[in-house]
Amino acid sequence: MNAASAPDTAFDAILEVEELRKEFVSHRGRMRVRAVDGVSFSLKRGEILGLVGESGCGKTTTGKLIMRLVEPSSGNIRVEGKDAVSLDREADFAYRRRVQMIFQDPYASMNPHFKIRDVLEEPLLIHGIGASRTERMKLVEEVMEKVKMTPASEFMDRYPHMLSGGQRQRIATARTLILRPSIIVADEPVSMIDLSTRAEILHLMKTIQSDMDLSFIYITHDISTARYFTDRIAVMYLGRIVELGTQDEVIDHPAHPYTKALIEAVCEPVSGRVGIMRDLKVKGEIPSASDIPSGCRFHPRCLFATEACAKEPEPELQDLGDGHAQACRRYSEIQYGR
Amino acid sequence: MSDTILKVRDLKLHYFTSKGAVRALDGLSFDLARGETLGLVGESGCGKTTTGVALLGMPSPPGRIVGGSVVIDGTQIVGLPDRELRKNVRWSKISMVFQGAMNCLTPVYTIRELMAETYRVHCGPEALGTEGLEALMEKYVRLVGLSESVLGRYPHELSGGMKQRVVIAMALFLEPKVIVMDEPTTALDVIVQAQILNLIKVLKRDLGLSYVFITHDLSTEAEIADRIMVMYAGKMAELGSSEDIFGVPRDQGDSRSGPLHPYTQMLLASTPRLHRRVSELAFIPGSPPDLVAPPSGCRFSPRCPFARTKCRQLDPPVHEFGKGHLVACWKAMEESEYERS
Amino acid sequence: MKARDRLQDFGEFWAEFRQEKTGLVGLGILVIFILLGLFGSLIVPFKDADKHWRDIDYWQDNPQAAPPVWTNAFSLKKGVPSSTLTSFKAEEQSQDSGVVIKTFTFDYPFVYDRPPRDLLVRVPGSGQVPLVISLERPDGLSAELYREQVELSEGSPERISIARNCAQSTIEFIRNQDASMANDMNADLINPTSILFAKMDPGMLDDPVALKGDYKIKVEALILSSDFSVGAPSIQVSGHVSGLMGTDASKRDVFTGIVLGIRWALIIGILTSVISVVAGVLLGIIAAYFGGVVDWLLSRLYELVYLLPVLPFLIVISAIYKPSIWSMIILICAFFWTGSFKTVYSMTLQIKEETYIEAARALGSSKWRIVFKHISPILLPYSFASMALSIPAIIVYEASVSLLGLGDSTIVSWGQILESALSQGAMINNLWWWVIPPGLMIALMGMSFAFLGTALDKILHPKLKTR
Repeated sequence: MNAASAPDTAFDAILEVEELRKEFVSHRGRMRVRAVDGVSFSLKRGEILGLVGESGCGKTTTGKLIMRLVEPSSGNIRVEGKDAVSLDREADFAYRRRVQMIFQDPYASMNPHFKIRDVLEEPLLIHGIGASRTERMKLVEEVMEKVKMTPASEFMDRYPHMLSGGQRQRIATARTLILRPSIIVADEPVSMIDLSTRAEILHLMKTIQSDMDLSFIYITHDISTARYFTDRIAVMYLGRIVELGTQDEVIDHPAHPYTKALIEAVCEPVSGRVGIMRDLKVKGEIPSASDIPSGCRFHPRCLFATEACAKEPEPELQDLGDGHAQACRRYSEIQYGR
Repeated sequence: MSDTILKVRDLKLHYFTSKGAVRALDGLSFDLARGETLGLVGESGCGKTTTGVALLGMPSPPGRIVGGSVVIDGTQIVGLPDRELRKNVRWSKISMVFQGAMNCLTPVYTIRELMAETYRVHCGPEALGTEGLEALMEKYVRLVGLSESVLGRYPHELSGGMKQRVVIAMALFLEPKVIVMDEPTTALDVIVQAQILNLIKVLKRDLGLSYVFITHDLSTEAEIADRIMVMYAGKMAELGSSEDIFGVPRDQGDSRSGPLHPYTQMLLASTPRLHRRVSELAFIPGSPPDLVAPPSGCRFSPRCPFARTKCRQLDPPVHEFGKGHLVACWKAMEESEYERS
Repeated sequence: MKARDRLQDFGEFWAEFRQEKTGLVGLGILVIFILLGLFGSLIVPFKDADKHWRDIDYWQDNPQAAPPVWTNAFSLKKGVPSSTLTSFKAEEQSQDSGVVIKTFTFDYPFVYDRPPRDLLVRVPGSGQVPLVISLERPDGLSAELYREQVELSEGSPERISIARNCAQSTIEFIRNQDASMANDMNADLINPTSILFAKMDPGMLDDPVALKGDYKIKVEALILSSDFSVGAPSIQVSGHVSGLMGTDASKRDVFTGIVLGIRWALIIGILTSVISVVAGVLLGIIAAYFGGVVDWLLSRLYELVYLLPVLPFLIVISAIYKPSIWSMIILICAFFWTGSFKTVYSMTLQIKEETYIEAARALGSSKWRIVFKHISPILLPYSFASMALSIPAIIVYEASVSLLGLGDSTIVSWGQILESALSQGAMINNLWWWVIPPGLMIALMGMSFAFLGTALDKILHPKLKTR
């Protein structure tokens, strides 16, 4: 039973993930990469949950598992209480209407030979929505208005390469909305967009989320945008969640050493930092996911690590109260000196 | 002043494409003092990378420096033939850490061979013997926080952070006076970024070199730059100390209150903050202009919420507000005059 | 709306294509070929040649192995071009006995240096009709060449060959002028027309010099009763030079054959290339995108077919089964699909990893939808270029098979013309006009498609990138 989901009541959670694992095998079995290694969390209806972590932490793979683009090696996924792992053709088809994805690269996620109208019409055609072209185009225009790409007629006949990065991401967002989903997985939606336009896109997504009461999984490596956009944050490291809580708790009171280092590493646009070193309390770099350290997988880099951390089995998330959970066995010692 | 190691005056660089001349740099002027770190910051296409490569006298074709001067440690760069630049300027007076350089290390050579190649190209095979060269390489590899064993390894055996340290070592080891760094931390993970920035801070303190630090991220500049130049569409918008640009926290009660150019203000307001709750993030509508036919007057005027007729007609000159704080904006000029009167 | 988009796309494409000079050359040649292929039968001298290519009777009036008419410009002694005399002056004379004598007089201005090879008189009619054919020479001398009663029929006119049937009359003609010369003449050995059209000279038997001037050929028919009749006769002059490209050893007009061959070359080339490229592209996409067992099967099939040597296979199958041109097309397709398969396969492997394909999957798109709506359009440009480029090889394969005598004998193809040329000794007898045109045509058509294909490839290749 996962501590992090304890405060949630079952019917409030629109998405539940339990001990999800994904192992990639290549080179005829010689290389095994445990991209997702026992991830559990739940997403409440109308909530935005951030999956935050650096490269190799498994956040993107988790997103793809939820999207059923990749099959889990083990574990459960439940959407609205129903199993989402083994689905037949029909159920899979229906699933894809409920759960949508916004991809990281706004250009690559659209066929460059499709006009914008074709990009947005495609979901309708696939799912047989709209009896005629006129009906479908009306839906397309509606959704373009929602993402503030008006007048729609100005953009409908353009190709993706004729739009800016921000505009393309709006269209990508529109594409997810046209089927009226319940859950949207956004995989680094603004990391490939200019700084000055990022806020615009995030603001748009936030507005849409509250208007349409959508539930979001927001995947990012940039914890500052997570502050702006998310309700709760799950910090991932090398395939597992090491800390989970509201964004206030996680960012203002980080509990796990890795989260602390992550928060400490973030730069701010303020004066007076020149020449001042950042006290990271972490050494080395992220190891390869094909060679995960024993015991607590963070121990080789952790300045607080003891022998026990290397030898004893990996710690699970422990509840700290108020929905805040973390996975360091030495938390109380480090925090309170006990 | 002997204290100024780099002097750029009215630098103009154009890319001559089939669609016309792209005026990537259109009259840029700034100084860099000895031991100082100057940050070049701006959105993509503002010309910051172009400035970086121009300082080494190597604009990428079809680019050409068409005017202005660049003086590094007393030597005028503009107009020097490539051979001269390679022998006497590049890597000996000024070197560069290119954007994405860590991914451009030739995979079939060891780090030792790569560094030796750099040495051969710029200094020739004579000066240092094999032992001398080995000692030099070891010194700088240690300086960037790596063990000497790295010299015998191949690039693919190293992590991202290690490769970036190697590239920094390669820029340092021929002991130039100025180092240009173009987005040295952008492609790295957050924690490694902080580690590399720590390294750069240490090098800054210990080696007393001058740096030109190019990035699109104001937050990163805040870590490292003594002075910051904000660029927009090939021209300077604002240049000032870290305090000038970011402002000083209000409790210190200083008269300097922050950036004066609307672009800098909006850029600052749209940078997400971790330790400050922001209910609304600002953004700048529109996108940077086409540099083949830039807008008349101030280049930022199409996107500026304060733009007036004058702004759209006349290009504002660079004006000094307070010591070393330069701004090119009509509104800022008018407001300061108003304050003075 | 879709059509307007396509039109606009095409307009942009055409603007780029116009800049490729070689492509325009290729297109130009191709357009000429297509026009000739469609309307060629209107311009060739022998309209029904398609059906009668191997019919000896159809060609019997042509000279055998005659060079093209324009070679006269280069020879000192101008040969006689083959022609048909159809205009005559008709006279009727009724005699008291009720017999009607019909006289048809043909004018033949003769300006050449060499006498015609033969004069073929065709007389239609019905019934038993005595015929007299005589020749009036410009030097005033006349010769009665033919005096026979023949059975005429309307359907197949009586065909009288001066060269074959009038040897004896020619000797008589000479005897009237110079009895001694006539004694040296042997009916089996002499060439009547060369004597009839020669100047009266003592050495005319061995070295005749052509007598230029206006000749009159008179055909007289005696209508003995009202049941019999005679129609309009015609005279075919069989010369030394004939047609735009001469004739072959079987008297067939080479130009006609070449033009007819265009049709078949185009059909074979275009049909085969379209079928094989479409097949190769579809199979390539399916193998790469579906993966698994399908991929394994198709890739092994590809490897098998790819390794088979095409020409020997074609030869063996043709020798055993004697296929028609249609089954040969299918056979060549069975080999040629491999050409586009591998390239399309690797391109699809790359396209498959693109994010927009993943996005389509995430939306619930079926695999077939992705194949047809996302992947195929990207490969369309490549397909066109591939089609154009494979045609030259296909034409040569067919020609090679025909060259070995294994082609479809019901059609006329350039390969077949070449085949008959070589087997009937064109090279030995220096009949260059028989060998060069078909070879040149094969090269020209191959070249035009190659130019076209290369230009297409150059323009469309950048768009092969998926971005």
